[in-house]
Amino acid sequence: MIKKRLIGVVTVKNGWAVQSFGYGRYLPLGRPEVLIANLDRWGADEILLQCIDRSHTIQGPDLRLLDRVSRQGLATPLIYSGGLRHAADGVAAIKAGADRVCVDALLHDDLDAVMSICEPLGAQAVVASLPLSMTNDGIRWFDYRSRQSFPLATELARLLREGAISEAMIIDWRHEGSPGAFDLRLLALPALRGIPLIAFGGLSSEPLLREALQMPEVVGVAQGNFLSYREHAVQAVKQLLHGLPLRAAHFESSAP
Amino acid sequence: MRQPTIGIVDYGVGNLASVWHALHDLQFRCRISSEPATLSASDLLLLPGVGAFPAAMAALHRTGLVDYLQSEARKGRPMIGICLGMQLLAESSTEQRPTPGLGLLPATVRALQAGAWHIGWNEIEPEREDPLFGSEWPHSVYFNHSYVVDAQPQHRVFIARAGEPITAVVRKDNVVGIQFHPEKSQSTGRKMLHRVVEGLLCD
Repeated sequence: MIKKRLIGVVTVKNGWAVQSFGYGRYLPLGRPEVLIANLDRWGADEILLQCIDRSHTIQGPDLRLLDRVSRQGLATPLIYSGGLRHAADGVAAIKAGADRVCVDALLHDDLDAVMSICEPLGAQAVVASLPLSMTNDGIRWFDYRSRQSFPLATELARLLREGAISEAMIIDWRHEGSPGAFDLRLLALPALRGIPLIAFGGLSSEPLLREALQMPEVVGVAQGNFLSYREHAVQAVKQLLHGLPLRAAHFESSAP
Repeated sequence: MRQPTIGIVDYGVGNLASVWHALHDLQFRCRISSEPATLSASDLLLLPGVGAFPAAMAALHRTGLVDYLQSEARKGRPMIGICLGMQLLAESSTEQRPTPGLGLLPATVRALQAGAWHIGWNEIEPEREDPLFGSEWPHSVYFNHSYVVDAQPQHRVFIARAGEPITAVVRKDNVVGIQFHPEKSQSTGRKMLHRVVEGLLCD
């Protein structure tokens, strides 16, 4: 049967890989290509490259970075996020080296444009990124550009339920970068029932990861900062999660 | 010895760079093109994956590649389709809307049962022996699809299980379809891709 995934996230701002804390504080890590090469070598199940300033500055996808990453001959599936505006951007990102694309800001701006990306690529190649938080007013959907939160659009939830987009990455943006702080309630929202979910943001401790991965809708967990601190971190995390339906841990110099 | 050349068919929506770099790392020469004249200078044709069936077939028609690929396959030129590329080899697909395919495999493409997705790493099991694939195969490979190829049992080489048996690898003579992404299934996937390319070139 299909395995759940441990996804390594590399966040890029102004061309540099950064550690991100709560969508507001950033510490430089180095060249994105190096971090991605590490995740590839360590056997991550997927790698998400997210360029967080491309939509903000209306630059479109960072195809030059994708090209540099691709030239390394990655053997791990790569999801690209950042600056996608329309179908041509999605196709260009796939041609340049991504295997899937992820949209965030465009979900706020233009759902028709999101659907236009799904048309040539297929829904299986498109992931929706949803930074969410629980408040006294219920669930809120964060737009990182305006730094305002809104109710989750019913039309978006409908498209996800109908499979117009294959998976939703649920980001606990307030707790991003805070160890063991992910709010599991975000994965049990009635509006998201039946939708394949990837959990991201503050997922570091074994009990929390285990609990998230045991939820039926959760098909994967994503980690960013927490995979940057030690060699072979991906496989060390997998070893901790022994017994869950993940691809087995391997400790090899190249990916299994 | 001459280094074999692989013609990667550019139908507008494939993951061209991923496939090119994987094959390049395996020491094959590669050409990406939508021009029959360029593709004809290669030893093996490869249709990469990622995309939706109707858009890909429309692109193949637009570039005049449908007749070319059908003619080359019938002449015996080795051909590999990966993921969507495998599905394009079939007779038709119901993805988005009914669309005829290349018809190089007696097979049809339909949605997975219950609108399911098959995304991530899964194991494959042999359905029959085929020397092209040897006796060792990758246990876990990366899939990303929601449509499946219903192939005739005698052509199915490997299956995966995801609620139902899914055709993972299909072969009819010189035409091979691989539903998963060997180029993105890390070292074991690439070993399999290498073996299949070499095997088809030697046949």
